[in-house]
Amino acid sequence: MLKVTNLKKRFGGLVALQGVDMHVPRGSILGIIGMNGSGKTTMLNCINGIYTPDEGSIELDGKEIGGRQIHEVARLGVGRTFQVPRIFRQLTLLDNLEVAQQQTGRGAEERYAQSEYWLHKVELHRLRHNYAEELSGGQQKLVELARIMVARPKVVLLDEPFAGVNPALAQLLISVIRELPTEHDCSVVLVSHDLTSIYQLSHHIIVMNEGAILSQGNADHVRADPRVVEAYLGA
Amino acid sequence: MTGLLIQGLINGLILGAIYGLIGVGLNVVFGVLRVVNFAHGEFLVLGAYFAFFLLEYAGVNPLVALPLAFAAFFLAGYLLYFVLIPRLSKADDPEISSLLLMFGVSIMLGALMLLAFDADARSLPYEIEPVFLKFGPVLIPTVRLVALVIALAIIAALTVFLYRTQLGRALRAIIMNRDAVRIVGINAERLSAVAFGLGVGLAAASGVLVAMVFPAFSPFMGNDYTLIGFIVIVLGGLGHPVGALVGALLFGVTEQVSVVFFNPSIATICGFALMVAMIFFRPSGLFGRQALR
Repeated sequence: MLKVTNLKKRFGGLVALQGVDMHVPRGSILGIIGMNGSGKTTMLNCINGIYTPDEGSIELDGKEIGGRQIHEVARLGVGRTFQVPRIFRQLTLLDNLEVAQQQTGRGAEERYAQSEYWLHKVELHRLRHNYAEELSGGQQKLVELARIMVARPKVVLLDEPFAGVNPALAQLLISVIRELPTEHDCSVVLVSHDLTSIYQLSHHIIVMNEGAILSQGNADHVRADPRVVEAYLGA
Repeated sequence: MTGLLIQGLINGLILGAIYGLIGVGLNVVFGVLRVVNFAHGEFLVLGAYFAFFLLEYAGVNPLVALPLAFAAFFLAGYLLYFVLIPRLSKADDPEISSLLLMFGVSIMLGALMLLAFDADARSLPYEIEPVFLKFGPVLIPTVRLVALVIALAIIAALTVFLYRTQLGRALRAIIMNRDAVRIVGINAERLSAVAFGLGVGLAAASGVLVAMVFPAFSPFMGNDYTLIGFIVIVLGGLGHPVGALVGALLFGVTEQVSVVFFNPSIATICGFALMVAMIFFRPSGLFGRQALR
């Protein structure tokens, strides 16, 4: 379970997060929406160690992870993808997934089996010996997702997974993400501008505005909240 | 004339292989850390002295001293990384700062060697019987052939390490995307320290071969070898040991074959002209971005 309490982050005079609370139970998908600059990505960056929070706490299964280094947070079970995939472009898909299992202590056979499983899952198995740079942007996002999943994380942070992805791949991504909590026993924090996907996938939704939570609840609640309609949907 | 040409070609291949070894060490450090290690040549000369003193005072064969030099300098480089490099990330321009820092380290090491070992050139009193091997009109010192085999074997081992082991894959991955390596749970600092140690260890191993093959070495020679390392990187491209080897062989053969036709000064110009031409026509080197694959 991921628990964020009173999370604050400033950049000089700019307040990026002003005391955010968030709770992601195991096996659930939390959707986060908000305008550009509302603090969504900053929050993910604080959770996975890219930024050190100014105040507040971030707990994973009761253990404080706020302020730890990126690789430590990853080893504790937090996986992360980015709007622009950060894959190893001149490694093959298999090698991308192999590097991600370096810290797992698994044997070569188990690592290979994990890689094969996830490449099948994201339907890129036939391209397993191709270099990642040969793939389309959407396929690279699938590789990045597979790369974090081979490490069997407890929490997966997905930043704009559907941005720039064609509809067919987006559907594949949606079906893979939907299965993560049930089949792979992890929680998902999903940041996206794609409201349809967020409404489809999320058990709970947070709407952020100017570094704070404007509204939260299930899809119906958020859709009906007049503050959200005014601030986010602009109507 | 044909005999001289073949002799030049073989000399070029032998020197090229050693230059390749010098280049791969520098290549690993620059690729992983983006640190221009100006002190690479000084570490190489220290490796030469390491072999010299082991032979002089303990009677250790240079072929045994070579792995010892690699291990000792790997460890020294691994520890030195934590003293020197992490601070650079706080600089406004870490690459320029690294260049200046390592330039300072280079001067410092040169001065320390001068103090410790004097300015006199030394040579390694080591020969392998028979001293020369004769192939028709071509005469090759046996020690040079042995050095060629060792240099090629080390580069082959490094290639296997980088392409067939988990640690090697991680080193290649960090060259491609440092942030992504952290995100998959790898301690990038420790991995960088391994890369720096590897670079310094390879420099020292090259130094042992240089001491075996060349008539003399002195504290002043570090810069020359650093320069050779950079030429090799420019020619072969960043990232792949085989790229470095091919670049180095090209440089070595150009230099040595030119000696057959021109005086040595012009031969040196030919080697550098090759580098200038490469920067002009193919700035990413012979292997280019493909080298990382």
